Amino acid sequence: MGSKVKTKKLKKQLKEKRTKIRIDYSICGEDGKIDPRDCCKCLKVCDPAVFTMHSALDLKFKDPYDPQRWMITPQWGSLCTRCLKCVEVCPENAISIKW
Amino acid sequence: MCKWCFSHGTNGEKWYMNAKNYSNQLADEMNLKDYLSEQWQHYEQIYIRKIMGVSSKDLGYKLKMPIIGRVVRNMAENMIHSEKKNRKGVRADGHFGQVIPLEDGKIILSELAAEPIICNYCMCRWQRRGEKEAVCINFGALSEVIEKLPRFIPKDRAVRLDREAAVKQLEENNKKGYIASVWFQPVPYISAICSCENPECGAFTLRNSFDINIMYKAEYIISLNQDNCQGCKSCVSWCQLGALKYIPSMKRVIVDYDKCVGCGVCRHACENDALKLIPREEFPGYNGKY
Repeated sequence: MGSKVKTKKLKKQLKEKRTKIRIDYSICGEDGKIDPRDCCKCLKVCDPAVFTMHSALDLKFKDPYDPQRWMITPQWGSLCTRCLKCVEVCPENAISIKW
Repeated sequence: MCKWCFSHGTNGEKWYMNAKNYSNQLADEMNLKDYLSEQWQHYEQIYIRKIMGVSSKDLGYKLKMPIIGRVVRNMAENMIHSEKKNRKGVRADGHFGQVIPLEDGKIILSELAAEPIICNYCMCRWQRRGEKEAVCINFGALSEVIEKLPRFIPKDRAVRLDREAAVKQLEENNKKGYIASVWFQPVPYISAICSCENPECGAFTLRNSFDINIMYKAEYIISLNQDNCQGCKSCVSWCQLGALKYIPSMKRVIVDYDKCVGCGVCRHACENDALKLIPREEFPGYNGKY
């Protein structure tokens, strides 16, 4: 009984934690201070290209031919190497990473 | 010959050598102007859009989950290869492609692609690096669709190309180290030749990092002539997939055939005529492995 509990705990510890990348959309995004298209620094500095820039999904200002509301999503979180270069390079400190 | 060569090719030819797949008649029959408009207006959202309740965000974690992972993988593969009538452009159903060497790309652009042929900014480079680089060559029904979307149209160069200019553009991209690829969009209609970079290309990331079949290896594979190889190492940095490696003790380069996709870009770097593309069928170990 005791050894079963131990292996379960060990397995839980060994299970890899997800990398949680968050961007503060009040700073960088469709309603934020900065339009991501003018900066793009985190896109260029990330080696595995985790971030993706895309037009916002909202229906408020829908202009399919030339969307003006853009945002960046940390798309492929599992590829993040946790080098933290994006946190360093963002001029507005909008990115935070936890694991 | 991959399975699409059998189902969409003709006379024992590859699928992208079948003239019918480029025809305007096919585009009209399948009502593709609507599909392609819907697809390209919202194209950047494809990775974050929820499709049947699931989006591609953090796909790596989702695919590793015990049972849901397999369901998500099957859903994605079915959508990517869908030939059904109720395909939706906004999900890019039926959009997948194959790597081609420069020679096949030249044949397609000079003989098969339906005019007008245009050159526009690559969506993948824009999305993942914020770079505007005009390396994407589109044709057929897709040209007029993209010309209505200003964010893809370069301002400082001609957008519409004649066949000779398109061939020259593809050669320039290839000599820069970009991998040429031809795309069903949607299957069986062919409307694009892209010049991909790994990992900026969405399809290469899905293939290499998540094992999703959206980009297939070419019908060719590289063959290294060991007598000619002088060990200069020029080709090693050209391979976008990391298939070439220099071995110091043998003073020559070796090939990792699991990684080689058969793009042939390394040939531009070799000055000793040691690299050649051969049909995949002539290489028994990797015949049929796409």
